[in-house]
Amino acid sequence: MEANNTTDKNISWLKSGWWLILLVAAGIAAPYVISEFYLLILGEALIMSLFALSFNLLFGHMGQLPFGQAAFYGLGGYGIAMLMTKFQINFWLSFLAGIGLAALAGLIIGIFCVRLRGIYFSILTLAFGQLIFVIIYKWHDFTGGDDGIQGVFPPEFLKTPIAYYYFVLLVFCIAAFILWRITNSPFGYILKAMRENSERTEFLGIPIARYQLTAFVISAAFAGLAGALWAPFYRSVAPSTLMWIKSGEPVMATILGGAGLFFGPVLGTFIITFFHAYILGFTHFWAIIMGTLILIVIFFLPGGILGFIKEKIDNRKKTDQ
Amino acid sequence: MSFDVLFNQFLSGIARGALLFLVASGLSLTFGVLRVLNFAHGSLYMLGAFLSYSIWKWLLIPVYGFYVATLLSALVIAGIGLLIEYTILRRLYARGWPEQLLATYALILIITDIVKWFWGGEFLSIPRPEPFTKAVFLFGFPFPSYNFFIIILGLVLVFFLWWLVYKTRLGDIIRAAAHDRDMVSALGIPIPWLFTSIFVLGAFIAGLSGAVTAPYGAIALGMDIEIIVECFAVVVIGGMGSLPGTLLGSFIVGQVYSFGIMYKPELALAFIFMVMAIVLVIRPWGIFGRPER
Repeated sequence: MEANNTTDKNISWLKSGWWLILLVAAGIAAPYVISEFYLLILGEALIMSLFALSFNLLFGHMGQLPFGQAAFYGLGGYGIAMLMTKFQINFWLSFLAGIGLAALAGLIIGIFCVRLRGIYFSILTLAFGQLIFVIIYKWHDFTGGDDGIQGVFPPEFLKTPIAYYYFVLLVFCIAAFILWRITNSPFGYILKAMRENSERTEFLGIPIARYQLTAFVISAAFAGLAGALWAPFYRSVAPSTLMWIKSGEPVMATILGGAGLFFGPVLGTFIITFFHAYILGFTHFWAIIMGTLILIVIFFLPGGILGFIKEKIDNRKKTDQ
Repeated sequence: MSFDVLFNQFLSGIARGALLFLVASGLSLTFGVLRVLNFAHGSLYMLGAFLSYSIWKWLLIPVYGFYVATLLSALVIAGIGLLIEYTILRRLYARGWPEQLLATYALILIITDIVKWFWGGEFLSIPRPEPFTKAVFLFGFPFPSYNFFIIILGLVLVFFLWWLVYKTRLGDIIRAAAHDRDMVSALGIPIPWLFTSIFVLGAFIAGLSGAVTAPYGAIALGMDIEIIVECFAVVVIGGMGSLPGTLLGSFIVGQVYSFGIMYKPELALAFIFMVMAIVLVIRPWGIFGRPER
């Protein structure tokens, strides 16, 4: 995991932060510049970016690859959808409950998963994720099975695409900031220490399993937040939001953008989401194109796009000195 | 509950376990030697099923066409495995396992679309081949005799793999490579050649097992993911890369599935995962697995 080491170094061009302000300003101005179609894609990209960031907390920062994140994402969506449509509970409470449901599932599944590491961790998260998918898919009477749940509406003042977009942007910025703070806190540094050498970290007297479980629950909660944002955005949820193919999306977005940098997953998600929307314009065989793209990135851009750019900049600096 | 019902369910579980063993053994063998978890193993299995259908239709051999089609499609899948190993995996052995995992995930996407492209989304099936067309009656209950074919095939594969791994020179190399790859290489054994042959063998087994599920009438998109998740349960319970572990895991998962379905069909998979969770609490590396750094 060579690429991961780059997070810890001082990266002046990333730390300066002016580009962040620029991006947020662009996000605020977007509804006045782009068409409604692309605004919806932009909203989707923000939600998916949050999902990818939740994944990268475990992958890029803790060094474990969960392949069942879609389960938490889907549970967030199902949580809000079911509470609103079946129990007529108001939007905000359902929204929070969706996140809570995902975090609770993360706690239960995490207890088993953090016992393992490496590829075994991936398999186990995948298996549990698929278990949740099957339960929701087969429990037709309660969850609607493969029909999903329709009619998940945001409150009146968020009903227009622009209003909901701003809501998504706001939540995304807050959530990304919290995740950023978490990764740069003492807790975040312990996660990184476990990534680099879990044995040594344990010898320092740090209870590894407890830290991993905490990170797992946080990650699940943020994935659930993304799902809870998605359901009212799309006005419905379907079991496909829980499937393992969905779990692969943050993996590929993160490796495309660069796992070693905090905003790598965001860049990767934006590229994939807009590329996907563009391709669907003329073919529905998008998976084969995506698969080929993944292979190309793995072969030619080992550190992801941001990693590649950073390497180029670092090289230039070296030659300047 | 009477004995005959239980026995019948037990036998169904054995057949299910035999099918799982067919698929999981290839997955486990590849992992044991290459240390690459091939996510796309299920996709090769699916491709094998679709291919056998097309070959069977194209051959139009009466009675025994199924067996010819099965063998041919397994060989084609082995060829595809060769192509995958040679063009993709070989370049990734030096890289981290997350990239290897993502590469095989990319293969799932590609193979799924290829299957969609050539065969569309409908369910296909091949009639059961002679002499396994009829049901046999055990204690008055009908039991599909085709299940015996699967069980026999599973046993043949168990025996073949055991012979290969424990009784041949290649087997010595396989076990040595699973233990210490660098040492094997230092002894002058060409590792790339070993990896290619093992991956091709794994692909052949995947294609074969896909083809023999065709008469169950369930050749469809999505069969890859369905089987691979159960196979993951098998290898996690038994221990990855271990032949006896895969055998025991298949047996356990087959039985739990079979009795789970009798008790509550919707929760059959949930029961499998409960067993998996219990095994993990007691032995995190699986029953026959060894801890890994």
